[in-house]
Amino acid sequence: MADLVPSRIEVRDLTLMYGHDTVLDALNLPIPRGKVTVLAGPNGCGKSTLLRAIRRLHTGQKGKILLDDVDIATLGAKDLARQIGLLAQNPSAPPDMTVEELVRLGRYPHQAMLQPWSEKDGVAVNRAMDGTGVTGLKHRRIGSLSGGQLQRAWIAMVLAQETDVICLDEPVNHLDMAHQLDCLDLVSKLNKEDGRTIVLVLHDLNLAARYADQLVFVHEGHVRALGQPEELMKPELLAEVFEVDAAIMTDPVHGRPICIPRGRARAAAKEVA
Amino acid sequence: MTTLAVTAPAGRRFGIGAIVLIITGLFVLLCLAAIAFGSTWIPLETVAHVILGGGEKTEKLVVWQLRMPRVMAAAIAGAAIAFSGYLLQRITRNELASPGVLGVVDGAALGVVLFLAIFSNESNSLTVSVAWQPLAAAIGALTAISLVFILSGRQSSSAIRLLLFGIAIAAVAKALTTVFMLIGPIYQAAQAARWLAGAVNAISWSEIQIMALCLVPTVLVAGWLAKDLPPADLDDVSSRSIGLNLPVYRIAVFFVAALLTSIAVAFVGGVGFLGLIAPHLARLLVGRARFAGILASMLIGAMMLIGADLLVRVAFTPLEVPAGTVTAIVGAPYFLFLLMRKDKTNG
Repeated sequence: MADLVPSRIEVRDLTLMYGHDTVLDALNLPIPRGKVTVLAGPNGCGKSTLLRAIRRLHTGQKGKILLDDVDIATLGAKDLARQIGLLAQNPSAPPDMTVEELVRLGRYPHQAMLQPWSEKDGVAVNRAMDGTGVTGLKHRRIGSLSGGQLQRAWIAMVLAQETDVICLDEPVNHLDMAHQLDCLDLVSKLNKEDGRTIVLVLHDLNLAARYADQLVFVHEGHVRALGQPEELMKPELLAEVFEVDAAIMTDPVHGRPICIPRGRARAAAKEVA
Repeated sequence: MTTLAVTAPAGRRFGIGAIVLIITGLFVLLCLAAIAFGSTWIPLETVAHVILGGGEKTEKLVVWQLRMPRVMAAAIAGAAIAFSGYLLQRITRNELASPGVLGVVDGAALGVVLFLAIFSNESNSLTVSVAWQPLAAAIGALTAISLVFILSGRQSSSAIRLLLFGIAIAAVAKALTTVFMLIGPIYQAAQAARWLAGAVNAISWSEIQIMALCLVPTVLVAGWLAKDLPPADLDDVSSRSIGLNLPVYRIAVFFVAALLTSIAVAFVGGVGFLGLIAPHLARLLVGRARFAGILASMLIGAMMLIGADLLVRVAFTPLEVPAGTVTAIVGAPYFLFLLMRKDKTNG
């Protein structure tokens, strides 16, 4: 399974504290090349922190994050930004910025001081806007977009960055069902057609199981389990990690496991422990 | 999701270049008018004639020695403060940010008052050259803004926290300034009071030279820093993930903005609200375009201070009312207007 593919990113003994609270505790995680890895876990388990740590957005973290065997701590800010892109959980831009202006910002790490804007930048911006279907919106202002359009514009910005690794922090949080699927299908397409390595944080376990090649359960600052969705979607594990008593079935359309929670499972979690 | 109504700036309709050109034209006209007006009226064509090297002796004296210095000083200082305000509003992503609100002006004032207090002897004359006064203002300003940053600590990325700490530090600096003026000699207090209100009437050519010399490199550095403003328009996580070293960049911008304002106020005094209004008006006119925005801010800032000085000369003669009084009287309601409007849009 995942071990057959060499790791693109290796998280090694990552420890991260917020004041005296340990958010991540000596965490280890391989992220395979060219696969979709989904981080899932209950609120406050540290999954978003882990994602941001992979993009080196936290200071004072202990341990290492290796990108193709290179410690990312040794990379320059723009250098790293050409290799790993990240879409924030609640990104914000000035409401009077146009979509095109936003997408062009994705080219920032590619711009040298004396050669500000090249033809290559223009091509990347157009490709990113085409790929996300926002070309028709490029002169619209950010403040005038609907939630789904806005999310696509932000994804276009991350795409314009042309990074091989793309991290997305709960990209479907504020979207309705149709737009959630739009967004994740787009991400899935990037992975399948361009072979990009995707790391997603998702709240919805059924969406996670549907899109993940590698599913990771983060629990209390540790990786509790990782593997293919079929291996992880087990009632005992869900009871322990998510504290739900759930029935697992196979989605008749995609053949992926889905869970149907019956209710909370505090007692069950204790039994497992 | 509700759709926000976003008004298009005038620049969308007329072309940014044309707008900047119009502002520049108005600026030149105002400069000429400011030289022409005063206790005696000098016709505009005579002003132009004198500037181009002609004119009689008395006209030359009035234009070059009496009126030109204060117009120049007002223009340079107004432009610098407006540039500073522009940088602060963009880097904090908040249109309410300004050098005054972040404690820079009051910090500079405290620096100047301390300087006057420490380096005066019994006969009320300075023991060191007055040329050091700008340095004192700069130290005061930078101390104030550093304190704002240190106190807001981890929350310094939140514009609201920064503004609140800025207002608090400004209040403390103001209180200390008052204390030092009360316990200082009367002459010194009068000097300081005039400076605090902001006045360009007493400025000399040599002071203008020092101001310009200090400002030129600062403006160049600020202009160089401004190239990275667009990625900083995004939230912290996004701007950092596209490769901007935001913590370092933000501090650099704050430092340069504080320096710009402190150099300007060191010479012309605590000119209030300029740094708030000028960049805001510029943004309304030219939108988000960066260098056009900076240029328009500087021109508008210059015009505001020249205009304020002109107004006090024409309306209050022979009383010399400090120009800062005018900018404050115009600026305070504008600030209130912005606050109320913001409340409305933010719910």
